[in-house]
Amino acid sequence: MQVDQGNRQLTFEARLSRNSETIDSVLGSSVDVQKREFMLCGKPDHKGICYFLDGMVDSQAIDGILRALVVLGNELNLDPASLRSADAIRTRLMYSASAKLCGDASDGVQGIVSGDTLVLVDGLEEGILVSTRGWKDRGIEEPSSENNVRGPRDGFTESIRSNTAHIRRRIKDPKLRFDSMIVGTRTKTDINIAYIEDLVKEGLVDEVTRRLGDIKIDAILESGYIEELIEDAPLSPFNTVQSTERPDKVAAALLEGRVAIFVDNTPVVLIVPTYFWQFIQAPDDYYDRYWVGSFFRIIRYVAFFISLLLPSVYVMLVSFHHEMIPTSLALTIASGREVVPFPVLLEALLMELAFELMREAGLRMPKPIGQAVSIVGSLIIGQAAVQAGLVSPFMVIVVAITGISSFAIPSYTSSLAIRLFRFPILIASGLFGLLGFATMFFALLLHALSIRSFGEPYLAPASPYRHSEQRDMVFRLPIWMMDKRPQFAQDTQREGDRQMPRPGKGKS
Amino acid sequence: MTRKILILFSSLAALMTCVSCVGQRQINELAIVTAVGIENGQKPGTIRLSAQIIRPSDARGQTGAPSGGTGQPIYSALAEGQTIFDAIRNLGRFVSRRVYWAHNFLIVMQEDYARNGIEDMVDFFTRNHELRMNTRVAVTSDSPAEVISTITGLEVVPGQAVDNLFQDNEIVGQAPSSDMMNLEEAYLSRSSEPILARLTLVSRGISNKKPQEHGSLKQVELAGAAVFKEGRMVGWLSPEETRGLLFFTERLESGIEVVGCPNSGNKLSLEFRDARLKVKPSYRNERPEFRIELRAKADVVESGCGTNIAKIRPDIERALEERLKGEIEALLRKAQREYHSDVLKLADVFRNKFPAEWRKIGDRWSSAFSEARVDVAVKANVKSVVLKSEESSQ
Repeated sequence: MQVDQGNRQLTFEARLSRNSETIDSVLGSSVDVQKREFMLCGKPDHKGICYFLDGMVDSQAIDGILRALVVLGNELNLDPASLRSADAIRTRLMYSASAKLCGDASDGVQGIVSGDTLVLVDGLEEGILVSTRGWKDRGIEEPSSENNVRGPRDGFTESIRSNTAHIRRRIKDPKLRFDSMIVGTRTKTDINIAYIEDLVKEGLVDEVTRRLGDIKIDAILESGYIEELIEDAPLSPFNTVQSTERPDKVAAALLEGRVAIFVDNTPVVLIVPTYFWQFIQAPDDYYDRYWVGSFFRIIRYVAFFISLLLPSVYVMLVSFHHEMIPTSLALTIASGREVVPFPVLLEALLMELAFELMREAGLRMPKPIGQAVSIVGSLIIGQAAVQAGLVSPFMVIVVAITGISSFAIPSYTSSLAIRLFRFPILIASGLFGLLGFATMFFALLLHALSIRSFGEPYLAPASPYRHSEQRDMVFRLPIWMMDKRPQFAQDTQREGDRQMPRPGKGKS
Repeated sequence: MTRKILILFSSLAALMTCVSCVGQRQINELAIVTAVGIENGQKPGTIRLSAQIIRPSDARGQTGAPSGGTGQPIYSALAEGQTIFDAIRNLGRFVSRRVYWAHNFLIVMQEDYARNGIEDMVDFFTRNHELRMNTRVAVTSDSPAEVISTITGLEVVPGQAVDNLFQDNEIVGQAPSSDMMNLEEAYLSRSSEPILARLTLVSRGISNKKPQEHGSLKQVELAGAAVFKEGRMVGWLSPEETRGLLFFTERLESGIEVVGCPNSGNKLSLEFRDARLKVKPSYRNERPEFRIELRAKADVVESGCGTNIAKIRPDIERALEERLKGEIEALLRKAQREYHSDVLKLADVFRNKFPAEWRKIGDRWSSAFSEARVDVAVKANVKSVVLKSEESSQ
């Protein structure tokens, strides 16, 4: 037995006891490692062992393997002596759908820890690795973080294979590809790169593969690890990689020529390249009729600007530019602020922090208690703080509208980024008025303009302006008008001519 | 790289110390002025300024914590000084908050002050960056301090009440909607002269508690106008004369006129609308001449004549024509003969048509205007008499 400490390269020998020792030495004495001895075709002189991990395997599949190895040979009147190679056993005896030869013990161990079953037979220098993976999966549920009214209700689960199957079911195109990679020296996490070969942006798959290949890390526990290790602007608060739990979103992205990265053990799939505006678009936009879709998309753009700017504008107006408020409104604000002891900037920061506190507490608490947090929070902040004269009623309204607006942004992760950006703008406009507000806003804008996502400008198609892509930007134009893919796709034409429906002229 | 970042941050920090929070002032730390009155001070050559300042906690329903309101939505104060700005600064001696002018609705001048010249007022209120150009300007023969502190029955803020009066003034049509913008425009113009609205205190409000003392509460009335010439007020226009003026300056389209019935001593109300005034200038014998044509449609809105309107329609039309013509002629008489002030802006019409001639007589426009021949022709057309048709009146 040779042990290469670096790669732990192990090879099989012709003696079963040696091979068994090899496997045992690598796996140790974990309680979940199951070792099942058998006799090939029931003949005592042809011993064999099945290795598998309890809990990771489908026990019926193991039963099937053992039945094939022990009973089936007898029934077929096969002489075990004639099965002198692993390939012969695999092809003549075994009826498992997925069974492959394994000449290398380390591959075998890798298979075992992945839930496969390693079959070793005395006298053979190869093992047979049978796919018996089967564990308790969470059922397919509606993704809780991305709700919609009309549209498919299924969401990704923690199993990568069923996740890719979701996409395959939606896109029955032979050009749909799933490239496999394994990342993480210890977790050996399966990663699949999905794309449509004749649509995907040229060179994008190579770039994604290169970036993933450069990752040297012990563990990948969630796709967030991958996201942070491959993104273009690692120092920016903006997220340049889209993440979603919705198969329909991934399928739509693939059909636009993007690449999806599936990571095992997480329902969150990554999509690159990403435009900033995608975070404001929801699947419902496309499933509802375009009037409705456009209207609610505009509402979401408004929500985006409110959640980013409203507290800053309020603070700026109230502490510097009183002449910009209509007189009646100015009086109302002034009367509400009459007893408030804090400057409006401090008031705004306090309320924003209180709001974030409530959000975070409500999120972390067990669900039944989370409700209590929100009730107590809204009572204290909304009612008591105003009555005690700590904050003005107007500030409560501003913070509440801001909070609601940030919940209206479909992508939770990017709404978090906007929450962060609120604070520098708020502080700048509270200290310097319109000057600070404009400076900070333009600093953010310039930063957003400067970053890219896998070669695509982050604020495209607004800047650089791309005319044909405006059909799916502020407005969601009718499906029969959106006949072009984004221009980075290999084939940009996605519809035939004149798709606008016209009823026939005949009497019917 | 580190050095660059260090330099950037230190310069930003230096910037912060230079400007941080300069000019920052919470909205509740301001004394928001909504109306200001200007009159001559007690000592000659001084200005007395009265300011109407909002008390926000009482001007608005209190929703939050109690703030010790006294129930009075406004606080009015007087200050004197050598100049307007001096008086404003002297307000700070007893007003506990920073006096803030950007929300000012109204400037009221006392008649005596206006007769002495309004140059300093026009200059101050246009030069100051805090003051807005849409502030209403008016002249009163009463005490401006009293005018600005008179609480109206409907609005909480008196300044706002007067502003609303101005906004709806085309319904009554008896006062010009004068604000800083058109005051300055006319003041700076070589040809036309400013005209400002007149505010009067009248006892017209009825007390809810003592209704038997009817008409005992003073109210601010917007009617009439003050005529200026070369920066000084020269006289008043009555509300009827002002209506004639509004056809020229504000393209008044509608209004109510009451004429006598041709067949009896009763009265009949007409609402004229779509009034169109045309001024046709001409130049003859080195003199400007104007032909003024007014066309209007009118509806009968209230008739006490008790007869079929169709029969007396020509008479009504003639009565209305004479009435409107009388208003315009009365105005012309005042402007040409008495005040010698071109508040009608006829100069603009003349200059647009005869620029070369304007160069000759522009310098002495005031006398040229006074001597100009003006013909007035009014054509009224009474329509819509449906409710008093022949059948129903019999």
